[in-house]
Amino acid sequence: MNDIQSPPTIPESLIRARDDFPILKREINGKPLVYLDNAASTQKPQSVIDAVTRYYSNENANIHRGVHLLSQEATAAYEAARGKLARYLNASDDSEIIFTRGATESVNLIAHSFVEPLLKRGDEILITHMEHHANIVPWQLLCERTGAVLKVAPIFDNGDLDIEAYLSMIGPKTKLAAAVHVSNAIGTVNPIETIIQAAKAKGVPTLIDVAQSIQHIELDVQALDCDFLIFSGHKIFSPTGIGGLYGRRSLLDGMRPYQGGGDMIAHVSFDGTTYKEPPSRFEAGTPHIAGGIGLGIAIDYIQSIGRNVIHDYESQLIEYAANRLKNAPGVQLVGDPTHRSGAISFTMDNAHPHDIGTILDTEGIAIRSGHHCCEPLMTRYGISSTARVSIALYNTHEDIDALISSLDKVNALFG
Amino acid sequence: MNPDLKSLYRDTLLKHSREPSNRELLPCANATAKLKNPLCGDLVSIHLQIDDDHVKQATFEAQCCSICMASASMLTENVARSPIQETQVFASSLIDMLTDPDKKLSLPENDLNALSGVKEFPSRIRCATLPWEALLAALAGRVKDQV
Repeated sequence: MNDIQSPPTIPESLIRARDDFPILKREINGKPLVYLDNAASTQKPQSVIDAVTRYYSNENANIHRGVHLLSQEATAAYEAARGKLARYLNASDDSEIIFTRGATESVNLIAHSFVEPLLKRGDEILITHMEHHANIVPWQLLCERTGAVLKVAPIFDNGDLDIEAYLSMIGPKTKLAAAVHVSNAIGTVNPIETIIQAAKAKGVPTLIDVAQSIQHIELDVQALDCDFLIFSGHKIFSPTGIGGLYGRRSLLDGMRPYQGGGDMIAHVSFDGTTYKEPPSRFEAGTPHIAGGIGLGIAIDYIQSIGRNVIHDYESQLIEYAANRLKNAPGVQLVGDPTHRSGAISFTMDNAHPHDIGTILDTEGIAIRSGHHCCEPLMTRYGISSTARVSIALYNTHEDIDALISSLDKVNALFG
Repeated sequence: MNPDLKSLYRDTLLKHSREPSNRELLPCANATAKLKNPLCGDLVSIHLQIDDDHVKQATFEAQCCSICMASASMLTENVARSPIQETQVFASSLIDMLTDPDKKLSLPENDLNALSGVKEFPSRIRCATLPWEALLAALAGRVKDQV
């Protein structure tokens, strides 16, 4: 049995964080809400909610179009958000940030606009066994279209990537090396620095899915030297329906458009159409303006606390949660990776994850049960689903303690 | 226990989930269907031995939660030796009553009554209906394997 470590102390700049999220005051089934489903979607701080309200109440207009004041203000606010993201990720230029609907659309955009034109029959795209469906299915569709082959690097039983195997699979036919930074299902932190360096040494472009790490771990695209990062806004305290990608400008310049329409063209005629430079080339149509503005405010919120503070606190909290779960009766962790961030998956001896989820819900505790859009990973472990706990900066050890106490109720019913 | 939970996890339902009836392959099956709930990954296969107009025997295999397990177990007990047409009508009506919020739930006064609490838990309704959907698919012969 592992010793249960003492709970982490909440740092000064996070002590009042819970007050910033109005939903955390809500009661569920007569109990205070304990929200532990942050890997699915995070809650929104009042500042983000206010920014969205302010946009619709005071600034609403289409962007990049009108000469009137409202359009100018909306354009400035939306483009300011792009700049905040660029600085947050340390991109060398704002134009390296493309807004999309989220991580899923970002992968599809890169598949269509960057990878597909590179592919010949028999070429390879490399991913890991722990990817989210969003970083599997777009590649399967692309392989169907082109005759390329999807290669999957194995993982160890503890949930660590077999990095030696991954690196050995980067070969002359590899046209993209892709990997998730942090597994949404089991919390593994992958060695993306090693992956990027090895791929770069062989001239292979890289795509890193940072949907789960962007709110927990500091990312510097220039230090990483990666080609593409993909992410969703709603997992980083912003509205749903907005997200984006970072793309190296030299690669974006050579990429074909994703969707055709308004705002992405330089000139349209029936004899031929020319396209704008990045990022506009990849942003056809009116975007989710309020969402983009909200995402910018969410970045401000994180920066006001400090990513290192958040990372240090969350690392202690997730370790505390993992230790408590390891020692809880009837609980087995699914994956116990060397480096963990954000999420823990578990099963129980006699209760199905769906039943665990329902029982916890009646106690006001929100967790996720299911396959977490990672069916191949579930199959790897010989299960169809897990119960998953995932944290954000507003969670406390009391949340974890409430979870552990409520698992007794699961055991009482099903044990 | 929380009163809502008591209504969902009735003793009869828990009994069927812990010790399900007819959870086995049916070597003489001549109609079978396997369905998956893509939301959670649960799998249920219903195996039937049918003659011209009757379900003679029913068994199931499953990798699923307690509600789905109990529902499948009760299904196999309920449909054995029943006329096919009657079984189809009954299964459709049961699915309808559970899924349509405007329909009143009226279940037989046998073990199946234990499913009454499910309707108060909308996220669990599909758990209860999945085996019945698989039953209808097997009877229709439309779907051999949807997974």
